[in-house]
Amino acid sequence: MRRGTFVRWGVPIAAAAVIGAAIGAGPVIAAVSGDPVLPERSAEQLLADAAAATGKEGGIPPMSGTVQQTASLGLPSLPALSQAGASSPLSLLSGSHEVKVWYGAADKLRVAMPTQMNETNLIINGGEAWYWDSATNTATRVSVKAPAAPTHTPAPVPQTPDLTPQQAAERLLAQADEHTTVRVINTAEVAGRPVYQLVLSPKDAGSLVQEVRIALDGETYVPLQVQVFAKGSAEPAFQIGFTQVTFTPPAAENFTFTPPAGAKVEENTLALPEEAGRHAEEHAERAKDVAGEAKVVGDGWTTVAVVPFDLNDVTAQASQEGGEGAALLDSVLASATPVSGPWGSGKLISTKLVTALLTDDGRLLVGAVTPEEITRAAGVK
Amino acid sequence: MTAVTSEAGAPFGAAPPSGGEAIVTRGLTKRFRSGQVAVDTLDLSVPRGSVFGFLGPNGSGKTTTIRMLLGLVKPTAGEYSVLGLPQAEALPRVGALVEGPAFYPYLSGAANLMRFDAADPTAPRATARRRIAEALERVGLSAAAGKRYRHYSLGMRQRLAIAAALLGPRELLVLDEPTNGLDPQGTREVRALVKEIASDGTTVFVSSHLLAEVEQMCTHAAIMRTGRLVAHGTIASLSGGLAARIRVETPDAAGAARVLGALGLADVRTDEGGTVTAELGGHAPERLNAALVGEEVAVRGLAVVRPSLEDVFVRLTGEGFDVDG
Amino acid sequence: MSTAESATPSRTTSPATEATTPPAGGTATATAPGPGPRRTPGLVPVTETRGTAERTPREPEPGRAGGPAAPLPRRAGAFWRLLGSELGLTFRRPRNLLMLSVLAIVPIIIGIALSLVSAPDDGIGGVIASVAGNSLMLTFFAFSFLVLLLMPVTVSVVAGDALAGEAGAGTLRYLLAAPAGRTRLLLVKYLNAAIYAYAATAVVALSSLLTGLVLFPAGPLTLLSGTTISMGEGLVRIAVAVGYVGAAMAALAAVALALSAFTEVSIGAIAATMVLVVVCQVLRAIPELDVITPYLLPARFTDFDAVLRAPIDWAALWDGLLAFAAYIALFGSIAWARFSGKDITS
Repeated sequence: MRRGTFVRWGVPIAAAAVIGAAIGAGPVIAAVSGDPVLPERSAEQLLADAAAATGKEGGIPPMSGTVQQTASLGLPSLPALSQAGASSPLSLLSGSHEVKVWYGAADKLRVAMPTQMNETNLIINGGEAWYWDSATNTATRVSVKAPAAPTHTPAPVPQTPDLTPQQAAERLLAQADEHTTVRVINTAEVAGRPVYQLVLSPKDAGSLVQEVRIALDGETYVPLQVQVFAKGSAEPAFQIGFTQVTFTPPAAENFTFTPPAGAKVEENTLALPEEAGRHAEEHAERAKDVAGEAKVVGDGWTTVAVVPFDLNDVTAQASQEGGEGAALLDSVLASATPVSGPWGSGKLISTKLVTALLTDDGRLLVGAVTPEEITRAAGVK
Repeated sequence: MTAVTSEAGAPFGAAPPSGGEAIVTRGLTKRFRSGQVAVDTLDLSVPRGSVFGFLGPNGSGKTTTIRMLLGLVKPTAGEYSVLGLPQAEALPRVGALVEGPAFYPYLSGAANLMRFDAADPTAPRATARRRIAEALERVGLSAAAGKRYRHYSLGMRQRLAIAAALLGPRELLVLDEPTNGLDPQGTREVRALVKEIASDGTTVFVSSHLLAEVEQMCTHAAIMRTGRLVAHGTIASLSGGLAARIRVETPDAAGAARVLGALGLADVRTDEGGTVTAELGGHAPERLNAALVGEEVAVRGLAVVRPSLEDVFVRLTGEGFDVDG
Repeated sequence: MSTAESATPSRTTSPATEATTPPAGGTATATAPGPGPRRTPGLVPVTETRGTAERTPREPEPGRAGGPAAPLPRRAGAFWRLLGSELGLTFRRPRNLLMLSVLAIVPIIIGIALSLVSAPDDGIGGVIASVAGNSLMLTFFAFSFLVLLLMPVTVSVVAGDALAGEAGAGTLRYLLAAPAGRTRLLLVKYLNAAIYAYAATAVVALSSLLTGLVLFPAGPLTLLSGTTISMGEGLVRIAVAVGYVGAAMAALAAVALALSAFTEVSIGAIAATMVLVVVCQVLRAIPELDVITPYLLPARFTDFDAVLRAPIDWAALWDGLLAFAAYIALFGSIAWARFSGKDITS
């Protein structure tokens, strides 16, 4: 009888094992089969090839796929974030988000962000751009001269006309060498495709960053994934990349948009650059002010920015503007720990990747460094 | 398979020769998860064609045994065999009433029977209506066939449960306390029904806590007490184990006792009420009466008392037969 | 059946019977409780050949002729007969019909409420505006509302009651003694619950469609992506959504059925299923737990909106169906492991 019991319960246990294996198959297989799937490349070769491939006529090949962004910065639990809604930029600080991308050519792009029973779309086709928001049932026509740079364009590889890709790569690596170790992994997979991972590890121990991994498709050299690992954590603190990708030209319907009947249609010709310009000017002015008093301590990965900062001002401004900003600020400040040292005293906010110190003498120090490093920077007057 | 693999090992359960046992158990034991031993190494054999009384106070393990025989409860150890067939083969030939009726209150009597008939994979659908009508007829429920079960009286419910047990041609009928909740008239009807079914050659296995009932209906009986078998045999052999006694009612108790003792009767006892009893042995009661009168002992009443199953139970266990368990 | 004359040992016990049952006849064997070797009744030696040798095909209604151990034929279609009986029970039960009618009424109420909200400008916008603009949209709106709680409740009442209810009422012991067969009964119970889940989904869809056609203009349907499709294609997409939501509810039914195998109180199984659903909905809302969200069953319920995108997000539907299949396999096998080994003591 007991034997029968074991046999019976073996069935659900086996079912659970099969399901677990199916879920974990990807990572497990990747971990078990560490065999190189791509021919070995040095970092220099890889960068040169990538520059050559993406710099040539046509640039990125037509493709479509799903891009997922995940952040687990170890921020304190932020109730404000969950209320902010999926479309708020603040929501990107925590959790994971998904957009779908269809890329036909340099001037043919559709980015869709599906949410539950809603969807926002940005469709760029030639000189015409549409922004569609199903939640408000609004289609906005934006006329732009050139398509706004899509978020997933390849990592900027400096290209000076008089440099060959090879030379550019050499120069870039030489610059990086001072603070960074660069290596290439050729056994990884992203979205089911073999990729080269360019791994950048800071040499300085004071950095919170363990390494940054940039995955380039083994065939097309299109960047498929960027991961930032914090020290002492096996999971990336920040990750953006394709979870599914195909390098075939997407159907033409994706790039044609006709406002549906009954939708509000707004024309926004040239409004975007103007608005943006105005904002940019304002920001630039403020930035200039700030920059006048701001300075940088350290260099490379352990750079700490020191900015004059008056907490009261910001709080007042945030509560004036109201909404999620104030809530976020509140919850962040609530989690701060008071610290003090020879440099003075202040409040320390630490996450997996970024540490910020708000000193009582009105300075804000921010950097991807350890709390020790940032207090040391605070001592540098 | 009917057979259960026990610690002992080999399963058994293939058919014994026809005319053998309808039910055989060997070392059948059920220990519930609570640790309570409901049935303890039970060795039972029920001859085919018998009306077998399964006796015992409530809680003595009768129902657990029946549940094991029907495959509802898995034995902890031991083996059993019903009709000498694998369980799936045996159960369609067994009609069962276990621990009272249980039906769907929102269905009619006939619809309830149709439901249980559908559950039997060997029951032909084509004849279902006829067989249901026959079964209802047999228990006298034809008139209430279309009535919802919820409106049935207790007696009607019990009879519907018996009808469910009679849906197909059965070789074995297992009736757990079939007269529970029935009025005297219903009880008589059930007894008559059992006799009728048995006369067709169907083995009937009746559990009861009522000794009188078993004595009236059964040819064989087994007596259970706290999960163990106390006695097992034909009714005659069970009650034959106790001697018949003569009982004399007389104002002259001392005289009567003297006379009976002089005649060689054993175990002469005098009760407070002036009643004298003794083991009858081989004596003829009318001779004893003549002897008493001849010795001028006034006899008000004289009776031969044969032992009941209750007496058997009390003798075997040394305790009273606690009906309410 | 098969009690032939040969199988009728007279009540004046035959010598054979006597020989094989020592305790019978003669003297009563009083086996006193206590230690010591027990007397075992002489068991008939096993003659394995006999049971199989007589397995000859027989006419459908064998009557009373034939050997006592001749095998009974298992009727073709007996499984479907039991399933039919189960369905009849489910769809005749007043409680289950009441739940279906509630599911039919809710879309009507939603439709009327939406038709009264004439001004979609007050910030609600979006979906409501599209419902008011097209009759087909009401189906999806009703799904997105009902799939969160009301449909799960309906399905778990039927599936959670499936075994526990029969056990509690005592009918389970008679079904199994019939013998329905445990695996067979479990399969029938699950298929019944799955069919009821699809019936509930279809009721919502049909009621919404009819309400929508009465209250709102028919015509081309605007998708969430802003693309417009014809009404015919819209109906096809409703059919796909019904298939997906029905599968979602069938997966939930597997969970409820597994819980139902662990108790004799059906309200316990139903309540436990609902607690699981609500807890999952809460977990979903916590962004820190996004990692586990894809593995939670209720998180997949709302993914039917993939049919409202252009192109249809088949990947999302496929992922959802895989998740449902995994839940059905896991909880179905748990239900089987529990139910096939359970002592039926009710």
